[in-house]
Amino acid sequence: MKKPAAACVGSPALAAFLAEALHGFRLKTYPSAAAFLKSPAGERLAVIEASLPDMSGRDLTAVLRGDKATAGLLLVLTGPGPYSPAAAALSLENGADEYFSFPPEPALFRARVQNLLARAAAGAPPPAKPSEYSYGALTVSPEARSAAVGGVKVRLTALEFDLLLYFLRNPGRVVARTVLLEQVWKLGTEAGTRAVDKRIEALRSKLGRFGSKIRTVFGLGYIFKL
Amino acid sequence: MTPRPRVLVVDDEPDYLRIAARIAGKAGCSVVTAPAALPGLKLAEEDPPDLILLDVGLPDISGFEAARRLRKVPALAKVPIIFFTVRSELDMVSEGLKLGAAGYVLKPFDPDELSRRIKAAVRPA
Repeated sequence: MKKPAAACVGSPALAAFLAEALHGFRLKTYPSAAAFLKSPAGERLAVIEASLPDMSGRDLTAVLRGDKATAGLLLVLTGPGPYSPAAAALSLENGADEYFSFPPEPALFRARVQNLLARAAAGAPPPAKPSEYSYGALTVSPEARSAAVGGVKVRLTALEFDLLLYFLRNPGRVVARTVLLEQVWKLGTEAGTRAVDKRIEALRSKLGRFGSKIRTVFGLGYIFKL
Repeated sequence: MTPRPRVLVVDDEPDYLRIAARIAGKAGCSVVTAPAALPGLKLAEEDPPDLILLDVGLPDISGFEAARRLRKVPALAKVPIIFFTVRSELDMVSEGLKLGAAGYVLKPFDPDELSRRIKAAVRPA
């Protein structure tokens, strides 16, 4: 019996490619995030387009990963060509298992999807949050609560470490200072956004040249750029 | 020259209100803002916007409830709504999209993504 798979794609060219490339599957195509969330059909695998009419593929991936019922889905994100390493990294950061730029080479695409399914069938657990983050010379271990640049340990306060981790877990997204107060400081906004600015300054200087990856946005918030 | 599309941004978080207003402005829209749902509804009824960027967790009524009320006003029933929220639970996203939202954008957000969605919503293909 053919295995069910979902294609959550808005573009007809991508839908046609998947129908051909995944001919070994019983493929159901959903033209939007709304359609997919309304009637998922027990698929193990979903191919998601980076830009759906109603949601970004990255956001949808994060949503599916966050729910018990869908956390174990094998998720393949597909973005527009040419291949962009930054787009691929962001997709994997948001919980995708694989990333392709469209159009991929069909045989390679099928082989990778088969590998994914085989690993899942062999009982590999669904992906957890990464045990280590690594960007160039920067490595951060959430478990050991340690950060290093070029193998040299960076001494961070607990708050600075939480702040860094929050940025690493939300790359490429604007974070308002008030949200950092709530999410990292676990305080309401009354503590004042000045405190955030000062702590970010300290974190930047401790991270050396990586500090510049945490950019100020319009003077209102921050973004961690890969 | 066609007038600039009007975007109503409803958010109780001043930082997000400003960032979203800035991005909508850069996308070629004129922007009105409201810090809560009910003042937002009032603004929308007085002068129907071309797009509503709506937070979900608001101090008076939820963004979803606000969307339901907007849909009952004939002049506002077809105005596209983009939910712009930290609420990433699957049930919440489903509910938002079931309300007929044109988009659902999670905070923290990718500014290019938000800009693209605003442009697409005010200039339907």
